[in-house]
Amino acid sequence: MSADVDLQNVSVTFGSFYAAKNATVKIQEGEFFSFLGPSGCGKTTLLRAISGFLEPSEGKILIGGQNMAGIGPNKRPTSLIFQNLALFPLMSVADNIAFSLEVKGVNKVQRRKRADELLELIALSGQGEKKVHELSGGQKQRVAIARALAIEPQVLLLDEPLSALDLKLRQKMRTELRAIQKRVGITFIYITHDQGEALTMSDRVAVMNEGELEQIGLSDAVYNSPQTPFVATFVGENNPFYGKVLSTEKNMVKVDFQGNSFLANAGNIDSSKKHNFSKGEDVILFIRPESIFIKDKNNKLDNNFKAKLKTIEFEGNLKNIYLSTNSNMDVKFSVPNAIDTSGLSSENEIELTFSSKKAVVLPKGSLAVD
Amino acid sequence: MKSQHVLNFLLGIYIFIFFSYLFGPLIIMSITAFNSAEFPAITPWECFSWRWFSEGKIAYDGQHLAGLSTDWRLHDGLISSLIIGFGVVCLSVPIGLAASIVLTQVHSRLRTLFYSVSIMPVLFPGVIIGISTVVLWDRIATIGGDGLISDLGRNGIFLTILGQTCFISTYCFLIFVARLQRFDQTQEEAALDLGASQTQVFFKILIPYLRPAIASSAVIAFLASFENYNTTVFSILSDQTLTTVIASKVRLGISPAISALALVIILLTLIAAITYEILKRREDKKKKERQDLLLFEETQDSRLKREMKGSFRMPKSIFLVLALIVVGLFGFNQLVKNGLYGSECVKAAEIAKKSKFSDQLKLLQQNVGTVDEKSLKAGELGGTKDYNNIFGDPNLFKNFGGLDNKSPNNSSNLFSID
Amino acid sequence: MKYFFDKNGPLVSTYFIIAIIFWLVFLIIIPQLYMLDLSFRPNLPPLLRGGPDDVHTLIHYKHFVFGSETNTERFNYVDIGVFFNTILTAIFVTIINLCFCYPIAFYMAKVATPNTSRLLIVSLIIPFWINELLRSFALRILFAGEGVINNILLGTGLIDTGINFIAMDIALYTGLTYAYILLMIFPLYNAIESLDINQLEAAKDLGSSPFRTHWRIVIPHAKAGIASGCTMVFMLTAGALATPVVLSSPNTYWFTQLIYQWFNMNDNWSRGSAYSILLLTISVVFVLLMMRLFKVKIGEIIK
Repeated sequence: MSADVDLQNVSVTFGSFYAAKNATVKIQEGEFFSFLGPSGCGKTTLLRAISGFLEPSEGKILIGGQNMAGIGPNKRPTSLIFQNLALFPLMSVADNIAFSLEVKGVNKVQRRKRADELLELIALSGQGEKKVHELSGGQKQRVAIARALAIEPQVLLLDEPLSALDLKLRQKMRTELRAIQKRVGITFIYITHDQGEALTMSDRVAVMNEGELEQIGLSDAVYNSPQTPFVATFVGENNPFYGKVLSTEKNMVKVDFQGNSFLANAGNIDSSKKHNFSKGEDVILFIRPESIFIKDKNNKLDNNFKAKLKTIEFEGNLKNIYLSTNSNMDVKFSVPNAIDTSGLSSENEIELTFSSKKAVVLPKGSLAVD
Repeated sequence: MKSQHVLNFLLGIYIFIFFSYLFGPLIIMSITAFNSAEFPAITPWECFSWRWFSEGKIAYDGQHLAGLSTDWRLHDGLISSLIIGFGVVCLSVPIGLAASIVLTQVHSRLRTLFYSVSIMPVLFPGVIIGISTVVLWDRIATIGGDGLISDLGRNGIFLTILGQTCFISTYCFLIFVARLQRFDQTQEEAALDLGASQTQVFFKILIPYLRPAIASSAVIAFLASFENYNTTVFSILSDQTLTTVIASKVRLGISPAISALALVIILLTLIAAITYEILKRREDKKKKERQDLLLFEETQDSRLKREMKGSFRMPKSIFLVLALIVVGLFGFNQLVKNGLYGSECVKAAEIAKKSKFSDQLKLLQQNVGTVDEKSLKAGELGGTKDYNNIFGDPNLFKNFGGLDNKSPNNSSNLFSID
Repeated sequence: MKYFFDKNGPLVSTYFIIAIIFWLVFLIIIPQLYMLDLSFRPNLPPLLRGGPDDVHTLIHYKHFVFGSETNTERFNYVDIGVFFNTILTAIFVTIINLCFCYPIAFYMAKVATPNTSRLLIVSLIIPFWINELLRSFALRILFAGEGVINNILLGTGLIDTGINFIAMDIALYTGLTYAYILLMIFPLYNAIESLDINQLEAAKDLGSSPFRTHWRIVIPHAKAGIASGCTMVFMLTAGALATPVVLSSPNTYWFTQLIYQWFNMNDNWSRGSAYSILLLTISVVFVLLMMRLFKVKIGEIIK
């Protein structure tokens, strides 16, 4: 059984400091939903508010339609997986998993049965008697998940569960978590600062910054149509071009950048509305590195500019090329390793091109800090 | 450098002196336990005997010096000490536990105050705690009228348990605080999140974590209670504990029975210490092996090899032990050679002493008023030289043949008769 | 308060509150307050207590300073003498202890190898598991008129008649120094151990003499340990009862023995309380002084 989670204008304050501000979002039941944002943006705060360790100072939290105000964490239909996993070191793996049943008073035989079921789910059958410290990092992860699922919660909350793992393990666990979620079918609320994780695993993503939800949407929508400069630069890499509006037509905007005239999509305010731009307004035009190409007979798109080569960085399957424009700003774009860049030099200016369909214009605002 | 060598050499000597200062008295005392002479001594060595461990000495001069197994005061005291120790543990450990947990839960302003008050008992002199307990409960007993409260308020064992609990709780408190500091709070949260009630969290998560601290604070509490004197001597009123019995021996007469007692305690302590060390080493070895195994498993991919360190290295103290054995054997050899052991020797010495004593008695009765202390060679009888001059008091012989000798003069003794 | 009950559950909270109030209030605060109050009351037989004669009076403190009404001298030199003798001896013993233990602590912390260090620590602890009384008795056996030391000295002909160590208080001082060595060594050891040995080597490198290295580098670093050790040794020495009982001569009283006398022999509990308060005051004053002098906090003083 699963439930939806409804946050209505939730704010959490510590003194005069807003850890979370006016958070409003409805998470569907059975959805894999992620909160994405840098450290300190308030995502952990929201998670603790949903799980019951914090009471919101303003607003309401409803789970399955029921107001959770005043209900403690042990009485909510949620299970939380902590960042440090918080497995009980003095108990065996099976006892850890069956703990939630034990405190409810379920008898030993049934507890054993359920523990065995879950051990099979996480592919650790027969390891029930091991002690926690005898497990590897990935195994501990899975035990934590099994423990949280034992009581069949309606919502599972995960607090950056993969941050302590190394790269390969992280990638493996991503797929496993997604698979478990699909199998079990309950609502997963996942928080992370790693946008790769958020985008690949989630149905929808909420990008958070300094306590506020900046954008909520499907993964590709958040990536392709950022609604604020923060989102544009936090989710994936993006090149910001600071310029002024020349003219607007329908959904497109013409922007002047250092004498170049670029055409791009007008950015969205939210999923239904677009920005209204006025002539002369300060804006930022965003184009992602993978959408910039060296101009040649194969690549001739509607936006063109020239720049000097700064450095070329070899990253394995890609080559990152850094350019400096007249404004001393580095433009970064990538080409596949296969492309021959030996002809490029820092003496001549290179001609580059990109499509207006891939570019987004947004009102000037603060970017995600590196 | 030469000066460095000299410095090291001096330091070595210093350390040697220091440690002989520490251990010397105890070693000497242990040896005197086997000398059948009545005042603990190494020279003159009368006989090697076990008497002070068992029956002691029956008076021929009106003075009965009990050995360990016949000293009823000692036995009573021991039982009281055990009862008190048990009571103190039952009170101090829960109190220390409660205080340490509450410490983590109060606001930081209150916390310093709370901590300071909890530490205070350790800073009070023990006598103060004993006295304050007695005066307070005496008042309570008076107000409470006849019955349980009145009896309780004047009961030495009850009062001693209370008085000792006052500061021993602080010891337990500190032990728990130290253990709690490393507690992972998220475990409590995880348990709550999984549906446990607060009470369940306490019993299923916190207490199991604190089990080692509970055990060690119980041991410490018991030991501290057992060996306490300053507080106990005031609060015990008409009862006795082992320590107050030992202290009262200052008045009753020092005999090698005390050395015997000390030796027994030293041996028990050593055995406990060695057992603890062996167990700990074994535990550490097991832990290390487990960790190495885990590491080995985890690094199998990267083809790292871990060496297993196993063997038990011989400590250098083996030489000290060998030296002691050599000395011991030599001493033993001497004893056997000179026939200074066994019950024949003791009997012979007794006969010699008895005759000397009756000679002196005759001399005294003949020369009342004209006696000279030096000619009586009073010192050789042993046992009472440091106290009153018993030959100066004819009242002594009124109790001749009795088993308990009460010192006639109280002027220079500071403890009243029990 | 409600938060407290919520956090711990009703059963556990009740247990906590009962335990803590019982301890802090009934075992610590109230007895001390009562003793303080009693020290200001005249010495009445039990039946008259609480009656009309039971008023607040300074009679006992006056006695301490001035002696009884029949005292012909201006001040109660006996009692005051005992008091100051105790305090001064305690200070003296503390300083001796400090000087005595510092080299050992330094050696164990910095010079010895870890194995030796551990061995030394263990061998230090063992004597102190043996009761203070028994250790004092061991010294008594050594120092008595016909004790071991005298026997050896007489036997080897170094002296003609026995030295009365006890009457000369040598036994007492030795005993007191002996009793609390552990409490001085361990704080010192812990404090010195935390000093980075590179600092010492750097000092030597820069040409500092050993004396200066200790004075300028080691000692300031070990401040907390020194304060802690001195405090504990002073307080335990001033408040000692076991060792003076066994080792003091009939001419030398320790202040605690005086208290005992008033309490048990003269049955004057009020006066005993008053003297106890004096002892307590001096202990507290010393602790505060140490804290001020060395600028350490109270938590650091506890081992």
